[in-house]
Amino acid sequence: MNLSDRQKWAMPAALGLLFSGMMGSLMVGDLAMSPAMLWAGLMRTDELATTVLWNIRLPRTVVAMEIGAALAASGVVMQAFFRNHLASPGLLGVSAGGAAGAVIAIGSGWAAWSYFTVPVVAIVGAVGATLAVVVLAKQGASTERLLLAGIALNALLGAVTSYVLSNFTLSYERNAQIIFWLLGGLEDRTWEHVGMASPIVVAALFLWPLGRSMDLLSLGQSEAQSLGVDVKAVRRRMLIWATVMTALATAVAGMVGFVGLVVPHILRLLFGPEHRRLVPVSLIGGAAFVLFCDVIARSAGNIRLGIITALVGGPFFLWMLRRES
Amino acid sequence: MSALTLNQVEVAGRLNPLDLEIPAGQLVGLVGPNGSGKSTLLMASSGLLPASGEVRWQDRPLPGIPLLERGRLAAWVPQEAQFSFGFSVAAVVGQGRFAHGDDEVGVSGALERFDLTLLVDRPVNQLSGGERQRVMLARSLVAAPQIYFWDEPLAALDVRHALQAVELARELTRSGATVFMSLHDLRLAMELDRVVVVEDGDLRADGKPQTVLTNELLKTVFGVRAEKEDGWNLQLT
Repeated sequence: MNLSDRQKWAMPAALGLLFSGMMGSLMVGDLAMSPAMLWAGLMRTDELATTVLWNIRLPRTVVAMEIGAALAASGVVMQAFFRNHLASPGLLGVSAGGAAGAVIAIGSGWAAWSYFTVPVVAIVGAVGATLAVVVLAKQGASTERLLLAGIALNALLGAVTSYVLSNFTLSYERNAQIIFWLLGGLEDRTWEHVGMASPIVVAALFLWPLGRSMDLLSLGQSEAQSLGVDVKAVRRRMLIWATVMTALATAVAGMVGFVGLVVPHILRLLFGPEHRRLVPVSLIGGAAFVLFCDVIARSAGNIRLGIITALVGGPFFLWMLRRES
Repeated sequence: MSALTLNQVEVAGRLNPLDLEIPAGQLVGLVGPNGSGKSTLLMASSGLLPASGEVRWQDRPLPGIPLLERGRLAAWVPQEAQFSFGFSVAAVVGQGRFAHGDDEVGVSGALERFDLTLLVDRPVNQLSGGERQRVMLARSLVAAPQIYFWDEPLAALDVRHALQAVELARELTRSGATVFMSLHDLRLAMELDRVVVVEDGDLRADGKPQTVLTNELLKTVFGVRAEKEDGWNLQLT
């Protein structure tokens, strides 16, 4: 199938995957559900199914979709921003910034003040990390430079996190919460978490119209500006929305790596690099990818989501590096 | 009408304050040794590099022209295009219409003009240097601007495509547009309406090629000696 034929299938294929991922996520688990039971639960006609679905599986499924969409879209945006298909929230340290923020908020006890503390501090951490990468990569975003900046930031932020873990006198509960963030997972996610991550949807809507400008930008800033793109404004918006999305995803599910690297790369290979298509397809494809990883995690005896995405993403990243050279 | 006016334009450390005025419809060559400030001058003129002093397009101060309108008024082609993603040749050339609402006007003509018709579906990151250069020139052409800033457009081109590009520049200027391009081929520079010479960030000379490119200037600026002989005179067939 040639590219333009494949492109027609981009949206239907992504939506199909998303739907089957949702079905899997709702039906698979300690209590395996038949379609009939699922229906009974959704309609609230079966008490057990209703409880499991509405209190556990639905919020978990929605959070999985939110963070998948957010991380994949942030990846697309960061790749266009740095003009490098290896840029992604995890490798650049933006996720680590969000996690460091969340860990500090929990470790210091601020998290108990308000329901919004963790996401807000996570955003602050992610913004700090993003700004640091932008400054470090200012002289040119070559692969080496970006990855080295990412290594440095990940190490630095990891040290902050370890400091909180080792030097704060923490209750067992706080410690467990922090470990949860570092390993990334979707256990016990509630409707509160769904609400906490919901600005991701707003950010996605703001990203949508930037697609065309991102096409031009990904081929060079000066080139884009000479063709009429307001480079400064577009780049600022890209950075803000990508950072907010990564931070919120990290705040509700911890560090879930490689989504922003793997999903955009596969979708670009399949459907071409045009951002007007790539951004929406990545939002949906990212949601589907995380749903499937979570279904695998659950059916393999409750492995943490972050471990599954790393097991998929790590080898994929090495393959990309090989292809690059 | 003046297409481009530079008033004491300066880029710290790279370009000393200089004045330049190019009337509409002129084909102007910019020559100078490597590192003399040609690219800096072109980027400052096209508003892509912060510079002190005043830049005006068609007698309008540049800061007063909205970015989208600038995209319709002038086009800049870099010395060497780097493509990090596999957009198709047709898609990249089509980007030249961004400031015109992506209407695709003139895209197929420009592809034909630069012999890119057979490459339309090829990802740009798999092209040779010369092919990339032609894609960039085609993209600037579809933008249909009044002023073309081309930074060494001929450097990567084979002799035939180079002559075609110069011929295109001629046509564009005949129809009222202005072309300001840097080049290294001094023999081609002799064919242009006007030559601007920069050296070490200073404007060294400016005028008709025959009066500017003297033996004396070639010796002091470029460190070469010119020998007049009836060498090849290449023409498009």
